[in-house]
Amino acid sequence: MLADAALVCYDTIVNRDRFKEIEHTADIAIQVWGSDLPELFVNAAYGMACQVTDAQDVDVAVERRIDVEGEDLEIVMVEWLGELLYLGERDGLVFTEFDILEVTSRGLRAVVHGGPVETYHGHIKAVTFSELEITRTDNGYETTIVFDV
Amino acid sequence: MADKRDFHQVDNYTWELPTSYREDMRVPVRLFADSDLFSAAFGDRSIEQLVNTATLPGIVKYAMALPDVHQGYGFPIGGVAGIDADDGVISPGGVGYDINCGVRLLASHVDAEEIEPFREDLMSALYQSCPSGLGGDGRVRVNKSELDNLLGNGASWALKQGLARKEDIEHTEEHGNLPGADPGQVSERAKERGLSQVGSLGSGNHFLELDVIQEIYNPDVASALDLRKGQIVVQIHCGSRGFGHQVCDDYVKSLQSAVKKYDIYLPNRQLVCAPIDSPEGRSYYGAMACAVNYAFVNRQVLAMGVREAFERVLVGKVSDFDLHQVYDVAHNIAKFEEHTVDGGRKKLCVHRKGATRCFPPGHEAVPAAYRDVGQPVLVPGSMGTASYVLVGQQKAMDLTFGSSCHGAGRTMSRTQARKEVWGHDLREELEAGGITVRATSMKGLAEEAPLAYKDVSRVVETVHSLGLAHKVAKLKPLGVVKG
Repeated sequence: MLADAALVCYDTIVNRDRFKEIEHTADIAIQVWGSDLPELFVNAAYGMACQVTDAQDVDVAVERRIDVEGEDLEIVMVEWLGELLYLGERDGLVFTEFDILEVTSRGLRAVVHGGPVETYHGHIKAVTFSELEITRTDNGYETTIVFDV
Repeated sequence: MADKRDFHQVDNYTWELPTSYREDMRVPVRLFADSDLFSAAFGDRSIEQLVNTATLPGIVKYAMALPDVHQGYGFPIGGVAGIDADDGVISPGGVGYDINCGVRLLASHVDAEEIEPFREDLMSALYQSCPSGLGGDGRVRVNKSELDNLLGNGASWALKQGLARKEDIEHTEEHGNLPGADPGQVSERAKERGLSQVGSLGSGNHFLELDVIQEIYNPDVASALDLRKGQIVVQIHCGSRGFGHQVCDDYVKSLQSAVKKYDIYLPNRQLVCAPIDSPEGRSYYGAMACAVNYAFVNRQVLAMGVREAFERVLVGKVSDFDLHQVYDVAHNIAKFEEHTVDGGRKKLCVHRKGATRCFPPGHEAVPAAYRDVGQPVLVPGSMGTASYVLVGQQKAMDLTFGSSCHGAGRTMSRTQARKEVWGHDLREELEAGGITVRATSMKGLAEEAPLAYKDVSRVVETVHSLGLAHKVAKLKPLGVVKG
């Protein structure tokens, strides 16, 4: 039961509608949903934060602006999450709240909020293109994202 | 999705999937495994990833996987691809994010009984001397110009700084300095991440382990490697840290446009690549070689930390505690090597992702001291289980472009491992088994639980029986530092 308690972050009803962890032998993979593109990108970022800490406990105190470019939606997704990882590692922060100002297949602009974290429970080295394919569904968009850990 | 019936068995340990399986395959797939490990490979997407690898332009002979194969991204982990240097491609996805993740083995002349009274102190000293965990700073901080020097010269830089011994470098793959490193091809962001992490273990599956040699299989070869039963040795397993991750990340993104420019078909975007003989391909190789050198220096600086810890705890208490370097070997790398293909010699870019070079006796790249016995191959087991030292054999040149396994290979996801194992329980279990644990994260400890891995002994037996590399010694863990 204790081990299950540690996974509460992934199992809450709210999170289940946003993302879920899927099995991967060596790394971490999540499946993400969104009713529109901004929501998909927000949920992907929140799903990533949940892999490294208890995201709901982060005291949001810092704001950063993010501006990334890409040639298609998948590259924009990798750039977006990669930028959050980089800033997080550089400044000792985890970002958990995201306001997407604009997202297209050419780029993304956002204001993000996060805070310092006492206890990390994981480390993500990078966001991969493996299995990353943003597809339209009846309810919006979905994709799988594999993180190298 | 391929199943076992699509393969035909070549011999007891070789399984082949012909190109007729999928029309985009340029070469067949070969999996080297005993029948159980062969079956285990169908438990995840390893085979599908290996089939994807077989589509890369310029790949020759086979897309290969060793018995420790498991699912990665792009290539499977435990994958080997030899790609024609004249008209083939180089792929960051075939090397991975932790460029030149590898293993270094140091050996003392002290017996396990002699250090037993000081083992706890020694593990604490190792934990202090070898920084571990997320993001953390390393033992050495360099400025930008020193970093460029380090990237361009690898272990030679460390020698000049007094951070290496000459014999350490002689006993390191490529002498710790991969030719062709070009710091001008590395982004400012990668360099920024590299400044503070020289001499740090990191997290994930990286570790530092104190071991005793439990068994010797070949006394003559063991003697040539200066190894004997009962002796204390240390393994260091880590890579190029944030620097290497950033280099890979930069090129996985930037080469996406090269794929379009050169009209390369890819079944998976993480296999992103560029022609070896193109500005983009040369640029990636120059940057990757920098990360290879960074990792060699990283393990070198950690080795000096290990020596420092031994001295601090053991001086005046036991003699002969000094540690000499047995070998240092990469297991995530792309290198130019000459191999026999269709009866002729060919220059290949050999991608080893979770695979170890294992050159045979007589090969000029094997250090002079080991040339009669073959290159040492270091195969760490999962935490708390045995590790092995082997030496490369000629058969590996014939079958796998001189490559062998790199470890046990995972069978269980990290999520599942965390569900089945509680870090504190595992720590108690390991300590009850006589293994001292120093770890920064109990969750990280649980993810690396032995039950999440294949049986390393079985993997090593397969490699030994195939004749890729021969067993020399078995190591039993006494203490582990985990990031």
